[in-house]
Amino acid sequence: MNEWLDRLSQLPQQWFESPIAAIALTLGAYFFGVRLFKLLRRPTWCPPMLIAAIGIATVIALLPIGIDDYNRGASWLMLLLGPATVALAVPLYQQLPQIRALWKPILMTLPLSATLAACYAVLIAAIMGAPQDVLASLAPKSVTSPIALSLAEELGGSRALLMGALLTTGVTAIFGVEWLSRMLRIRDPRLIGLALGINGHALGTVRAFEISGVAGAFASLGMSLTGAFTAIVLPLVWHLFY
Amino acid sequence: MSVLRGFLWLLAFLLLGQTLVRLFHIPMPSGVIGMLLLTLWFSFRGRMNRDVVQISQPLIAMLALLIMPGVVEIFFVADQFADQWTAILTALIVGTLLSVLSSLLLMRRYLAHDDLSHNDLPRNDTPRNDDPSSPVGTVDHE
Repeated sequence: MNEWLDRLSQLPQQWFESPIAAIALTLGAYFFGVRLFKLLRRPTWCPPMLIAAIGIATVIALLPIGIDDYNRGASWLMLLLGPATVALAVPLYQQLPQIRALWKPILMTLPLSATLAACYAVLIAAIMGAPQDVLASLAPKSVTSPIALSLAEELGGSRALLMGALLTTGVTAIFGVEWLSRMLRIRDPRLIGLALGINGHALGTVRAFEISGVAGAFASLGMSLTGAFTAIVLPLVWHLFY
Repeated sequence: MSVLRGFLWLLAFLLLGQTLVRLFHIPMPSGVIGMLLLTLWFSFRGRMNRDVVQISQPLIAMLALLIMPGVVEIFFVADQFADQWTAILTALIVGTLLSVLSSLLLMRRYLAHDDLSHNDLPRNDTPRNDDPSSPVGTVDHE
């Protein structure tokens, strides 16, 4: 009997020796998050990703395993970030005629908006006395995760902090775009979509597709261009200062 | 099989991006270079590869999911930034609200006077792709 209990208590450890358990836990938490999100009537301040992340953290805290055991398995899932970034070529190509038709206004607004998105946060944090590694983790906060991750690595930021920053930014951007566009009486789905994509990366883009197809297309445009622009400019500017 | 063939395309362009990044010391992630190369390839061909379109839809839908494992870690390293939380949260929330406000104002200034319709644009306005009925990235939380 005792021996059997012993074996039972070792089970969680053994599960997480292979990546299967971590991947299953991640997917399970994702669908749990989506379900709970719908039950709560889609609160904008609490997206499925946040619910799911808290769910995973709770499971890890309850089981006799560490975050490292989980991360080792989940990194297999993260391998997909590379091909997923390349896949963004599809919405980008689909929007090429739109980009060509609107290249002037987009050229006037997008680089400035993408720059401001990074600058505001870095400036506020710097004024409040945050050290350099925190600033490096906050700078790519509006960029879609695969690009942001390699940027944070390049600048010497913390991966965990950046991911938290991405989530907070996405949630705030969705809330902000909906609130401020109502205040400013902006109803153009192209504008709302672009604002969501530039400021709220993948989370904002997912939200834009819920509003309408046009908003979603412009959000992926905003997201891809902000990603490409920031990936090129941010390391150059950063190394001027640090 | 078509999905797997599309996946192979993505991997090939990812590797191509990685090669260029390593060869020329480009300060960008290999995924981004791969994305730009694939866009260029599509424009060169004048159309998109159907296999790539099919795989890109589920992959882009996964982007939000792929953030999650990283977010989990923050709950376990929170102590490391214990004295920074006010600065971090203020920077993120105030900074994001400010940048949303400025981008909305900027775009209203430059985009709103455009004579394109303010309502939904016709879908056939999108490029000659193989499958215009499926806007890629049409993602529900499903």
